[in-house]
Amino acid sequence: MIRGRMIAGFLTPAILVYGFFFLLPTLFTFYYSLFDWSGFGEEKTFVGLQNYVRLWNDYVFWLSLWNTVMILLVGGVFIMGLAFLYTILINSGIWGKKFFRFIFFLPNIVSVVALSAMWAYIYNPRIGLLNTAFASVGLEGLSKTLWTSPDNIFWAMLAALIWVFTGFFLILIMAGVDKIPADMYEAADLAGASLWQKFRLITVPMTWDVLTISFVIWVINAIKMFEFPFAFGLLQVPQQLYTLGIYLYVMGFGKREPIYQLGYATAIGVVMLVLAFVMIVVIRRLMRTDSLEF
Amino acid sequence: MAGISQTAPRRSPLMRLGGRILAYSLVWAWAAFTIASMVWVVLSAFKSKREVLRSGFRLPSEANWENFGTAWTVGKLGAYFPNSLILVTVSVVIVLVVSAPAAYVLSRAKFRGRETLTNVFVLGMAIPIPMLFIPVFSVLAWLRLNDSLTGVSLVFVAISIPFTVYLLTGFFSSLPKELESAAILDGCTDFQVFRYVMLPMAGPGLATAGILNFIWLWNEYQLSLVLLNSPDNRTLPLGLYALQNAMQYTNNWPGLFAGVTIIIVPTIIVYAILSERMISGMTMGAVK
Repeated sequence: MIRGRMIAGFLTPAILVYGFFFLLPTLFTFYYSLFDWSGFGEEKTFVGLQNYVRLWNDYVFWLSLWNTVMILLVGGVFIMGLAFLYTILINSGIWGKKFFRFIFFLPNIVSVVALSAMWAYIYNPRIGLLNTAFASVGLEGLSKTLWTSPDNIFWAMLAALIWVFTGFFLILIMAGVDKIPADMYEAADLAGASLWQKFRLITVPMTWDVLTISFVIWVINAIKMFEFPFAFGLLQVPQQLYTLGIYLYVMGFGKREPIYQLGYATAIGVVMLVLAFVMIVVIRRLMRTDSLEF
Repeated sequence: MAGISQTAPRRSPLMRLGGRILAYSLVWAWAAFTIASMVWVVLSAFKSKREVLRSGFRLPSEANWENFGTAWTVGKLGAYFPNSLILVTVSVVIVLVVSAPAAYVLSRAKFRGRETLTNVFVLGMAIPIPMLFIPVFSVLAWLRLNDSLTGVSLVFVAISIPFTVYLLTGFFSSLPKELESAAILDGCTDFQVFRYVMLPMAGPGLATAGILNFIWLWNEYQLSLVLLNSPDNRTLPLGLYALQNAMQYTNNWPGLFAGVTIIIVPTIIVYAILSERMISGMTMGAVK
């Protein structure tokens, strides 16, 4: 039996650092969001829920929320769909499973800023890889596309994002699929089950837990999305790329010129946290009732 | 391998062949795109400025190593490299030193509130990092640690604790209990059990946690962006971001690519050697 003194001694350092530099700041966010606060070192003025009222009437906030939701939903459908599809393809007995898994996951260990530089090169209208490739196969019309024009930039960014995250969820889902006992498929084969039946009646229910966790992880990642679109947009991030995280940063620290609306920015942080927790609860609910059907 | 499309008896050999070809072409299309674009960026780092603008898909005519020199000296990546290396190494060591004992106690000791405390640690994984920008900045300002690598390393440790504690708690729980009992019967104190029996057995888990945290913190960019203002304190991702912004005006693509190469090569080497361990560490928590 481990004694109390040792328990306390072993836990204290972690609790101190985690509490002081992570949990406490999270709680402060709620408090700060009730103030008008125009700079570190400036006086705070209590304004109650005024910042939230202002958010409600702020066009740019709704735009950022819309973009975040688009990343969450459109990105989520593609990422999960592709991750599942490629798990099945790579697991279908083709040569080089470990190699493909290695390559698919690769973008996740590379610096986001490096990835955004790479995609800037891919999308560049004049010298970019995409347009050069189109020109070299004779697709002159397509090769003149301005991939990062205001109309296209969000979707161009999202495509790159899907490429990054598909590899991440591929390794999670594949780990789940690999745990399914082989004899289940053998039994199904003997019973004459079709591919689709095996997928629907064995693969999906047997990976349900992994899928639930994957959805939860994706929701968290989508709601806090900041780094990739921010680096992709460079110094003057265009509003088409604003996510909640980027708008928070812009209101707190500005782009070129500092803005320093700190209270207002923290209110956006509170919205992000609430959104994340609500979505997690919803997903757990939905996935739980569904799993009872099997 | 329990393949999903392990062939049913009814499918004809022709269909099987068709399926095989389809699987290969779809998987290779994705993999080829990923490999080609990364390799192309690295290759283009050896081109001259003019070559990048004109040459299309041609290989560099000669190796222009000076792009790396430009990124290293003019782009100051040479100064940011040690910043990153020291900051990340120190942070990873502290994370492990702080998290391993906590995870051990959380997985092995019996005390009231153990589960709640575990959940509080794990909760951190769900908190959106941008939410911390302003309050963490003011905590560091209050400690007079703003705009310092010391301050950032404390924050790095804090944000790495949730995943590390989660991973290590799972790892300690999976170790057999018999050895502990045997060690106690042999007269070991609690601390000796931890130090000489459990910690060595947790070695692989600690290594996995260390590698994953190293990669994440090496690439960490959002909190560094907020917390580090002076150019001298920049980490590699911030330096590369500055290089990319400057590139908009200088049009020095190969210089930017040299910077990209400098920052991605260390992580790719680590990943190439340890990918199996990293991937199993990533998936351990998700697949029970």
